[in-house]
Amino acid sequence: MLTKDQLLQPLARIRKDEVVVTTMGIVRPWAKFSQSALDFASADSAMGHAADLALGIALAQPQRKVICLNGDGSMLMTLGSLVTAVESGARNFILFVVQNDTYEVTGNQSIPGAGHLDFVAIARGAGFKRTYFFDDPKHYKACLKEVLSGPGPVFVAARVQKGTEGPLSRGPKVKESYLKPSLAESTHEMRKVLTEAATKYGANSNLAGQ
Amino acid sequence: MLQAKRILTELKKLDVSHVVGIPDNSSAALFDLLHRDGEIQLVKVTQESEAFAIAAGVWIGGKTPVVLIQNTGFLGTGDSFRGTVMRMRIPLLCFITYRGYTKMVARRLDPDSTTLDAELLSDSGLDSAALITESTLKAWGVPYYSLDQDDEVSKVSLAFAQAKALSQPVALLIPREVA
Repeated sequence: MLTKDQLLQPLARIRKDEVVVTTMGIVRPWAKFSQSALDFASADSAMGHAADLALGIALAQPQRKVICLNGDGSMLMTLGSLVTAVESGARNFILFVVQNDTYEVTGNQSIPGAGHLDFVAIARGAGFKRTYFFDDPKHYKACLKEVLSGPGPVFVAARVQKGTEGPLSRGPKVKESYLKPSLAESTHEMRKVLTEAATKYGANSNLAGQ
Repeated sequence: MLQAKRILTELKKLDVSHVVGIPDNSSAALFDLLHRDGEIQLVKVTQESEAFAIAAGVWIGGKTPVVLIQNTGFLGTGDSFRGTVMRMRIPLLCFITYRGYTKMVARRLDPDSTTLDAELLSDSGLDSAALITESTLKAWGVPYYSLDQDDEVSKVSLAFAQAKALSQPVALLIPREVA
């Protein structure tokens, strides 16, 4: 099993110009390793819809990869999104499910299916051709470059230790920079960043050659 | 009568990039046309609540999405609608087909003045989805307009202008089958 740091730190190091969407128990831990303008917290938002939001960004920005760091409880709320992601043909979409078997931010209550749920099997059944399962930090680190390379959609389930993240909030007093703006401010700022970047992106796409 | 090709023309005028939704009888012709035309990306979802979150992401990505769903599905989108396109202040056009409208009108029920109660909402001669559509839109703070005929198609642009001016979703209710 991985710690959150073992999951997030190597990803933050290898990440280049991908958009990263976080939610729930990953929002604050990710901010320890990344302060990119391309980070977006699905916090103070809709329950269970971070993957949908990230998929939408991927569809609008086909030249740029989009990584979603979703929770297992969140994923269970919208399993149909796995089918939609495949059907949409988003080759630039990489979906992580951080599997700790609990609704962490509401007090670590067990999710339905805790202990036996096989997200990779579900993702394969939904049509994901590239799937990964990690419960060993060394194996994860060795495979991460491959995970982020090549065409998607890609699905990753990672077994991660239970955490102690509490409920999320936004505002100027919050430590994490991407939680300081309101959700609306953050939304409009990200659109601005992506729109401005798109004009100079073109052939320098991280999907070039695929 | 409202023709799908008239709506498509309006969507293209507005540089709509993606239509996100689920087809029903009323919108089938429009979905079919969008699919055949291919200029606007059609994103079919498995559940209506996905549609608003995906549309929010498309907008964040710099494009112009619209949502096309049935009122029954819209009623199930509460948290997704609230927590994405509304809370994010996204100027989004939502085309919502109005299942049950014809039966409601045949009974001369006006959503503005009809008192809803369990008796009415369980009346087998009515579709309760229609009865609560407009009151739900009002409760959720969504301006809305009826789009029923070809000569009303300019409402598409007007509603989009309003969505942009208010920086929030605006709905167009489609009460009859699009041809």
